[in-house]
Amino acid sequence: MSLIQITNTEADADIDSHHSRNIQADIAIEATALHKSFGSTHALKGVDLKVAKGEMTVLLGLSGSGKSTLLRCLNGLHQLTSGEVTVLGEAVHVAKARKLRALRSRVGFIFQHFNLVNRLTCLENVLIGAAGRIRGPRYGLLSYTKAQRREALGHLERVGLGDLAFQRADSLSGGQQQRVAIARALMQKPELILADEPVASLDPQNAANVMDLLFQVCREDGITVVCTLHQVDLALQWANRIVGLRSGEKVLDESTASLSKERVLEVYQQLDPDAEITTS
Amino acid sequence: MMLTKAHPEPSKITTSPRTPESLIPRPTREKVTLWIILAALIPLTLASAEHIEFDLRALGGGFGDVANLLARMLPPEVNDPPRVFELLLETLMMALLGTVLATIISVPLAFLAAANTTPHPLVHRGARMLITMCRAVPDLVFAVLFVRALGIGVLPGILALGLHSVGMMAKLFADAIEQSEAGPREAVRATGAGRMGELIMGVLPQVIAAWLGTCIYRIDINLRTSVVLGFVGAGGIGFALQDSLRGLMYESAMGIVLIILVAIAAMEIASIALRRTLLNPISAGPAPRVPDVSSALLPPWSGDRRTRTIAGFLLLGAVIYSLIHLRINPLVPITSFGELAAVFGRLFPPSISGAEELLLPAVVETLAIGLVATVIGALLAIPVGILAASNISPARPIFAAARMLILVVRAIPELILAVVFVAAIGLGPMAGAMALAVETIGFLGKLVADSIEEIPVGPLEAVRAVGGSWWDQLCNAVIPQALPQLIGHWMYMLDVNIRTSTVLGVVGAGGIGFLLMESIRTLNFNLAGTIILLIFAIVFMIERISAWIRKHVA
Ligand SMILES: Nc1ncnc2c1ncn2[C@@H]1O[C@H](COP(=O)(O)OP(=O)(O)O)[C@@H](O)[C@H]1O
Ligand SMILES: [Mg+2]
Repeated sequence: MSLIQITNTEADADIDSHHSRNIQADIAIEATALHKSFGSTHALKGVDLKVAKGEMTVLLGLSGSGKSTLLRCLNGLHQLTSGEVTVLGEAVHVAKARKLRALRSRVGFIFQHFNLVNRLTCLENVLIGAAGRIRGPRYGLLSYTKAQRREALGHLERVGLGDLAFQRADSLSGGQQQRVAIARALMQKPELILADEPVASLDPQNAANVMDLLFQVCREDGITVVCTLHQVDLALQWANRIVGLRSGEKVLDESTASLSKERVLEVYQQLDPDAEITTS
Repeated sequence: MMLTKAHPEPSKITTSPRTPESLIPRPTREKVTLWIILAALIPLTLASAEHIEFDLRALGGGFGDVANLLARMLPPEVNDPPRVFELLLETLMMALLGTVLATIISVPLAFLAAANTTPHPLVHRGARMLITMCRAVPDLVFAVLFVRALGIGVLPGILALGLHSVGMMAKLFADAIEQSEAGPREAVRATGAGRMGELIMGVLPQVIAAWLGTCIYRIDINLRTSVVLGFVGAGGIGFALQDSLRGLMYESAMGIVLIILVAIAAMEIASIALRRTLLNPISAGPAPRVPDVSSALLPPWSGDRRTRTIAGFLLLGAVIYSLIHLRINPLVPITSFGELAAVFGRLFPPSISGAEELLLPAVVETLAIGLVATVIGALLAIPVGILAASNISPARPIFAAARMLILVVRAIPELILAVVFVAAIGLGPMAGAMALAVETIGFLGKLVADSIEEIPVGPLEAVRAVGGSWWDQLCNAVIPQALPQLIGHWMYMLDVNIRTSTVLGVVGAGGIGFLLMESIRTLNFNLAGTIILLIFAIVFMIERISAWIRKHVA
């Protein structure tokens, strides 16, 4: 039995156990009338969003339209100004520190700038993904159990970087670093992954590879995905749904089944009239 | 530095030191270095503690004595307030002029000492050597020598502060030049500009912010030091303090200490504010309207530019006023160069006559004091520093309390701490070690807090996003990222503490300082020369070790 299969079945089992806890078992995210202000900046102006389990949603919108803010509100990295968010059965807007940490450990987050700890090895970076579920802080590779290290190596192999387990994170290329970050998220055994422009700092070829990897593992493991993206092609290829934001308001929410590429491009042009759309 | 270097994708990294069976990597050079440091440090510290008869129980017994001393210091009083305030003003002016003098010397020296602007590698080495030399001679020793040459007064104090500060300022200035980018310089050179033009237009704009930061930081340090210089007759409020202590007028000594604390704390707050306004220009807010570019060839009077110009004129005014008030002829260092050179000349040739048996034990004692103080100090300072870093501190009140603790400890000159500990546990090296350990909380705590605040926030956020706790953030993101800086600061602290411990001898807190002060007092200048060379050797050695560690842990 390979490592990958172990993780898969465990992930499935996890999902099942959560299913029984949830009142609305098939809803991953339910947000209503989300408002978020930073001082005088009104970043989100009453956004509603409902995402079913296993769904793959892509968020489109200009820079500054509130995409990152929305994602960060979903796992409590930002506190809401008003509104209600329920993620995986947990009411984020009222959750206190401990509850919030427990929820975050079930939600993977992929950052545009990877946010790896440069001075640590890839394996150690992946192990950080377990911080939410193992008790007590760890320092150094040897403070993790052998089973945990083996599991982390399994995730690295799954993203194709098993060979680089003991390389320092800052010696890797951008695309490789983002794959390590994906492995770190997988280490959480997440039910939901939020990805904030995961490929915006990569070249087109790497961007396509990383997106393929991300969506593929999520599909295989039945992980719900909400991802902000600028590549319409990739969005159409993988997403079930496309949501568009403009200055903090939702202006588009359609299933991709009913969307043609031309229609998305048209909408994208509406979102961002000056955008040069790269159809790589 | 948010973005990591992106290599071209296909360049698979070669030689992966992977050992799949054990899931443990081959030890890297960094790990090995860290283990060597630990393996050397622990026995050395224990042996040092043994050597200076360090015993925490002595502290318990000393509480009564300290309480006694404090009781005699209360209620604090200020005799002759006009005189005390005049001396305080003098102290402030000494700190200002000393820092200005150091800046004037440091700028050209830094260009000679920076590897990328030096005219010749030999000049580079020589300049770096000179800088280390300035740092190795404690300011108090400079002061004693200058008082010998020029007589009692503020001028020796200013010169002492100035020369000693060169040791830090020129080093940091040169480091900043070495870290500047070559691109802008090349662009200036490409226009056909000369060498001066290249340095002024290509390098200066890149380093000026770092330099300003260094100056602000140093004036803060110099204020603390200038308080102490009065003890050896180099002017300022230290005069009054020593008078009171000599005359056993503890109430008035306490009054002066409190005035000093307030002045230093005020300076610290002012320097934080100054740093904010000068170094972090306000980026928010609408850009000022440019009136008419064709007619106005000067940039618009934005808030920043106004602040900077006003600050510049205020500084110039303060320097001129200080020179007039203290009746100092700026040319005196040049006109009395002969006397200065003569005093330094008498340090040579170094000899150990009169102290053959005393010298080695005193050196060992000084090293032991420095090491024990820095280890104990770090055990206290690192937790305080972590709590005082705004990006990891668990709660606002804890952050405020930790910063306050650092501020208060920093405000107490180490000589005063040494006096208190001597009162508590008697004359000897342990009093010196304790004083330095406490002082370390303020000094190292601040360095730790500041460098933790500078780490990239991304990884911290990533740990939070996986549901990690505060401890997880600390262990997984803060310490791994800050480790090289923490080690560097610790080594620097060791260097500072060993140098300071040479000064503590003045108040009977053990070490080589006692011997040094005695040798100068008894006009045995050749012995003083030897001791100064020894201190230089120690400082130089620590610098080499630091460089070695920096090469392996980065
Ligand atoms: N931490 C913050 N503090 C202040 N303003 C912020 C912060 N984060 C985002 N904003 C503001 O909120 C708006 C939405 O930003 P963001 O969610 O980052 O947009 P996007 O991710 O779509 O580019 C912008 O106007 C931005 O300036
Ligand atoms: Mg964004």
